[in-house]
Amino acid sequence: MNKHSSGLVEIRGLQKSFGTLQVLKGIDLSVGRKEVVCIIGKSGSGKSTLLRCINGLEVFQSGELLVDGVPVKSSDPNAMRALRQKVGMVFQSFNLFPAMSVGNNIMLAPKLVKNMSPGDAKLLAEKLLTRVGLTEKFDSFPHELSGGQQQRVAIARALAMNPEVILCDEITSALDPELVGEVLQVIEALAREGVTLIIVTHEMNFARKVCDRVVFMHQGLVHEVGTAEDIFTSPKTPELRNFISVNHGQRELV
Amino acid sequence: MSSFSTWDVIRNLLLSLPWTLFLSAIAFLGGIVLGLVLLILRIMRPNSLGRLITWYVQLFQGTPLLMQLFLTYFGLALLGFNPSPLLAATLCLSFYASAFLTETWHGCVMSIPKGQWEASSSLALNLREQLRYVIFPQALRISVPPTVGLLVQIIKNTSLASVIGFIELTRTGQIITNVTYDPFFVYGTVALMYFALCFPFSMWGRTLERKFDVGH
Amino acid sequence: MKVLDFSDVITAWPLFISGFFMTCFLTLASCLLGTLLGTLCAWVRLQGPSLLKLIVAAYVELFRNTPFIIQIFFIFFGLASAGFKMGAIVASLVALTLNLGAYACEIVRAGIQATPKGQVEAAQSLALNRWQIFTRVMVAPGLARVWPALVSQLVIMMLATSVCSQISAEEISYSANFVAGKTFRSFESFMVVTACYLVIAIFFRKLLLWVGPRFIFGRMKF
Repeated sequence: MNKHSSGLVEIRGLQKSFGTLQVLKGIDLSVGRKEVVCIIGKSGSGKSTLLRCINGLEVFQSGELLVDGVPVKSSDPNAMRALRQKVGMVFQSFNLFPAMSVGNNIMLAPKLVKNMSPGDAKLLAEKLLTRVGLTEKFDSFPHELSGGQQQRVAIARALAMNPEVILCDEITSALDPELVGEVLQVIEALAREGVTLIIVTHEMNFARKVCDRVVFMHQGLVHEVGTAEDIFTSPKTPELRNFISVNHGQRELV
Repeated sequence: MSSFSTWDVIRNLLLSLPWTLFLSAIAFLGGIVLGLVLLILRIMRPNSLGRLITWYVQLFQGTPLLMQLFLTYFGLALLGFNPSPLLAATLCLSFYASAFLTETWHGCVMSIPKGQWEASSSLALNLREQLRYVIFPQALRISVPPTVGLLVQIIKNTSLASVIGFIELTRTGQIITNVTYDPFFVYGTVALMYFALCFPFSMWGRTLERKFDVGH
Repeated sequence: MKVLDFSDVITAWPLFISGFFMTCFLTLASCLLGTLLGTLCAWVRLQGPSLLKLIVAAYVELFRNTPFIIQIFFIFFGLASAGFKMGAIVASLVALTLNLGAYACEIVRAGIQATPKGQVEAAQSLALNRWQIFTRVMVAPGLARVWPALVSQLVIMMLATSVCSQISAEEISYSANFVAGKTFRSFESFMVVTACYLVIAIFFRKLLLWVGPRFIFGRMKF
């Protein structure tokens, strides 16, 4: 494989349908190492589906998807296990495990998948909790935390597998407005540290601030790609112009 | 002994089946009548009689049916009745069924949203009218699947009447086993007969449950 | 002769005590084994290979639609005549476990089926395999979801141990039968034991409802 000539995540002609409804109509996208890419677009444009294809939560029908030069094959459990160690994911609804303490949420996968010793896993979890500003919450349970705190734990949980890339699926959409900032700060810090991120978001100001590249999706296709500056200040297509004006208007109302 | 052929075993078991059905029917019907009375009393007088009925339910749900059968049987004797297994079994199983049925139905009535009570009382309906026209019709619908489930429980539980000497399917199986010394075949056949009796009801109950879930 | 006379029954208290301990033993052992069996069967019915699924479905229906007394007779007398000889206690444990396993399977399955999709997706994203996801992520919250229903079933199981007296497992109903036969004070003897069951049932239910959230599923919210 020509591993070094292409990006970390390489998507070519990706198509995906739910029954008769075609959601992705041939996506081409390449994300390089240490790059931060934001995906914006109306709901129903396929951006979450695209993200979920990258770690195999959705099965696609045709096209090619390579992560670190290895094609994603959802039919092979071992290949999926290897893939998911390279791709972390943070969800809109946090999806912390309610029966486990914060510490156990973070230590679970390193212990089970990476066979890390309990002592090492604990050190790692403590380190990561400090990184997301929740040092003292190790023994708390998810329901005892605010939404923003839960999402930060979810980020730490994804980081614990030391993935090559982290996918963020509208991670602030389920949060009260006053809790959005603390989560975005953590993501911003990760971006500065050089973590590869693919972020689906509605937070336009955030996208503008931290992304190297912004992808605008429209009706199952990549409609426009560019630097944050290009996309927000000089949108080329009427669809993007329309999208930006509507969404900036909403933002200012808040 | 050896004169008991396979067919004799099955025939004798089949002949005892009506007694199991009879006991189930009496217990179920008796349970429905008594359970309904208890349900209405519990709703009309939730504090005084309702508390007593809760204890009644707790008593039957918190003790083994086997003990209840023995107590009824020997209790009747103590009261001066000639203890007959038939009387003891029908009485005891009816009380037992009434406790489970009334508790289940009470749960169904309580699950009717508070708004239905409030709406109907704001229309100046009295308690009797509320129950008759608003609450019971709704509760009836949701109570059918669990009631069918209880019927299956009752059919299975009639087997315990064998212990006080009521000659139904299980007791007949025991008697035949004592003659043929083939418990594997006899109890296996008895089990299959109970299964043939209960399984259709279980399936029916499940279908009703699904239908209700969809309609909800 | 008085109508009710408990004196003979009370003198036999050591028998009741030993019966009480046997009842407790049968209950606790079969509750643990039966819940475990039920959970495994729930896994089979949800994710297992299709042949095994069929076998488990047949087992569950068979045990849920036949009386416990016939199950225990078949296991104790029937299997012995077919060459599998067991003591009364072992046969009781086997029968109780199989019976509870069938009911627990359906209860636990319902709880596990209600697992939010996001929980499974999060676990998948962390590269956990199917078995790890089931045991680590789905079972505990699934049990928590149906704990009240499961507790009711465990109490029913406790009461069903009385049937074990019919194959002369020496639990507390057996004590009652024995004392009734010896003293001719049947009603009094059964009354005492029935009261014992009532106390055990109330206490057992309270204990399980208290223990569950504290020691089985951690501090999670229901």
